[in-house]
Amino acid sequence: MPDLNTEQLIIDIPGRADSTALSLQVGAGETWGVLGPNGVGKTTLLHTLAGLRKPRKGRVKLGTAALASLGRRTIARRLGVVFQDQQDGFPATVLETALVGRHPWLSPWQMETAEDERLARQALETLGVDHLSGRLVNTLSGGERQRVAIATVLAQSPDTWLLDEPTNHLDLHHQVAVLQLLSEQARSGRSVFMCLHDLNLAARWCDHLLLLYPNGEACWGPTETMLIPSALERLYDQKLITVEADGAPVFVPVRG
Amino acid sequence: MLGYSRPLAILVLISLLCMVLSISIGSAALSPGDTWAVLTGSGTSLQQTLILELRLPRTLSAFATGGLLAVAGALMQVLLRNPLADPYILGLSGGAAVGALLAMLAGVAGALVSGSAFAGAMLATLLVFGLAHGTGSWTPSRLLLTGVVVAAGWGAIITLILAMSPARQLPGMLYWLMGDLSHAGNPAPALVMLALVCALVFPLGRSLNVLARGPLQAAALGVSVRPLEWLIYVLASVLTAAAVSMAGSIGFVGLVVPHMLRLVLGNDQRLILPACALGGGSLLVLADSLARVVIAPEQLPVGVITALLGVPTFLYLLHRSR
Amino acid sequence: MKTLRSGIFLALMLALGLPAPAAARCVHDALDRKVCIADSVERVVSLSPGATELLFSAGAGEKLVAVSAWSDYPPEAGELPQVGNSNRLDLEAIVALEPDLVVAWVDGNSASQLAKIEALGIPVFWLKPRTFEHIASAVERLALLSGDETAGAGRAAAFLAGIAQLRERYQKAPPVRVFYQVWHEPLMTINDEELIGRAIRLCGGDNVFGHLPRLVPRISTEAVLEANPDAILSGGEDSDDRRWLDQWRRYPELTAVSRDNLYLIPPSLIQRPTLRMLEGSEQLCQTLERARARL
Repeated sequence: MPDLNTEQLIIDIPGRADSTALSLQVGAGETWGVLGPNGVGKTTLLHTLAGLRKPRKGRVKLGTAALASLGRRTIARRLGVVFQDQQDGFPATVLETALVGRHPWLSPWQMETAEDERLARQALETLGVDHLSGRLVNTLSGGERQRVAIATVLAQSPDTWLLDEPTNHLDLHHQVAVLQLLSEQARSGRSVFMCLHDLNLAARWCDHLLLLYPNGEACWGPTETMLIPSALERLYDQKLITVEADGAPVFVPVRG
Repeated sequence: MLGYSRPLAILVLISLLCMVLSISIGSAALSPGDTWAVLTGSGTSLQQTLILELRLPRTLSAFATGGLLAVAGALMQVLLRNPLADPYILGLSGGAAVGALLAMLAGVAGALVSGSAFAGAMLATLLVFGLAHGTGSWTPSRLLLTGVVVAAGWGAIITLILAMSPARQLPGMLYWLMGDLSHAGNPAPALVMLALVCALVFPLGRSLNVLARGPLQAAALGVSVRPLEWLIYVLASVLTAAAVSMAGSIGFVGLVVPHMLRLVLGNDQRLILPACALGGGSLLVLADSLARVVIAPEQLPVGVITALLGVPTFLYLLHRSR
Repeated sequence: MKTLRSGIFLALMLALGLPAPAAARCVHDALDRKVCIADSVERVVSLSPGATELLFSAGAGEKLVAVSAWSDYPPEAGELPQVGNSNRLDLEAIVALEPDLVVAWVDGNSASQLAKIEALGIPVFWLKPRTFEHIASAVERLALLSGDETAGAGRAAAFLAGIAQLRERYQKAPPVRVFYQVWHEPLMTINDEELIGRAIRLCGGDNVFGHLPRLVPRISTEAVLEANPDAILSGGEDSDDRRWLDQWRRYPELTAVSRDNLYLIPPSLIQRPTLRMLEGSEQLCQTLERARARL
């Protein structure tokens, strides 16, 4: 049974005409990548899938239930979001930040248990930021903060991951480590849906792609069917050279 | 839970010490022995009046007022995600002041002034609520902007009332505006309110922690952001209105106490909010004791002392924290 | 227009270093500044209720062209045009009236506003009545400047004589310890330097807060309980408002309460530094005499 699906979904970007209605079925074990140029509505789509924005038309379903009919807490137990920007608000330590991921699992009167703390510490360790656990988040580098944000959702342990540019601020090694982690999550039966700006990372780690064109058109499907150089060139309005490496296509922008 | 009990126990101890100090000193000289005698049921009738009818209610009023203001300030800072927010930032004290000054102008005193101030504060709350809500696109920054502009409007009305009032009325009005505990009434309702709110914010505390990270993040982590924000707004407003109607607009406590405590205790609202109740209460009790005795038998407005005590303490903590 | 022209004329003379024309009459005001009047004063503006009353006493009531707000005594003062309350004056209205004398009050009017009036060439006479003698001499000098010199001097002398009589009568009376309540929220009293404080001493009263440094100190209820006065006097908010006094009945241990020595003193006679203070002081002395009898 698909975990996250949309029925004739049209996202609401004020002042923009209706785009192609999306009927996506993000099943358990699948890793989806959303590709498209800046400003095409990737983040808006992600927020709509998370129930943080109302769609213009259509609806989002989590399992068999309409997202709009579920409470925030129920949604948060099944669906985790890594945002592109983390607001600082008030300074909190890295461990406190990761522990926040346990929020949907605790009743109002409950304090975090030792088990919650263990999960949070484990998540930090997985992301390689456990040595920072006592530091204030606002003193970290961009890449470290990004990993803490991912560790928070790992501690939340949702069935469905929504991620907005999860490789932002990360060096190459950590980009790979994070995508590896997401692949493992998918392999263990969860589903992953992320916006990516790096075509090649998407080609290498996603099994499904959704292409969002500036004119509102969209197409989606298994990765191998979507990696058509002419379609990708139209997507980014950029000439590409396709080369083969490690048995898979790699797209390099043409110079000048 | 263990991590919370020690700081709170220390704060309870500090609160008790401040209250004992406040009860033991005043313009009339009473020895600690006299004070003890009164508290254990003996002492002369004058001593009993001084301690049981004047100092004790005033000390409790100061504690309740300071606690309410500090908790309200902490809540407003979370709501607006703005560290400069204080309980009065949305114009609530302006509304209360207009209510109180109009009552004074009409020649009433005591409970009617307090009641009028409370009504003014609630009117200001509803006004900002309505205006910010008007178009439906409610955001903290819209609320903040509405509140600040409405506060400026109240400021103008206050100046107008002061300009048109007879000279005889002015000292009373100015003292009210500076914050003054000398005519605080029965402290019991405010103390009960303070205790209730501490009990209420405990279950809300973790949601507030999450909310402090921003509304999107909070919603994604299972917080019903909008209802929670309205709850905080109403709660902070009622607390502030209660404090202001007891003691006028005492500044500084609501802004600085939450910050001071955050610098020392971190940013867990489940700890910070009860700590604010205790810390804000202690600061105001201490400030009021000083206001009563530094130039005794003359009295200073307590707002002056809160600022004089709070500014250096805050700067020291800020300096130490980096 | 006339003032503007004379202002320009004055400025020109100053610029040319010419001496000002010799003045007909000069007096010193309460700030010890020389106030000179070219010829006769015909148009006077009073900037405080007390000044208004003193001007009437000095026989210059008919020359008043405008007064400040709350100038309600004598009754005809209430019919004159007003130029704002004492701390917020309508300068334009004052200048437009083309006064040849403005009477100001140190405790109420703004020095900077009055400096502007003076810069336009309008003489300003400052009042700062702190003693009975100041009141009398203010009446004399205002009479000299603007009014009926002899009548002014006569009223001033009668006032001082009346005060001296009271002093004579009550000097030896057993002292009554008095707390005088000016206001309730915040609780305020007066010290010995204040005119009401002087009236209390005149009547053989001993102001329990007389030693405090400020004229109108703010005090605590606790301080009153500790001082335990024999009598509590208050102006009240209105002349028949006993609420402030009745609040003291909560403290039966106060001598003033146990002896029922809580008295309302009509504020109009005593709270303004004018010749009516004699009448106010007489009433005060009688009140203290009653209090004395109950001790």
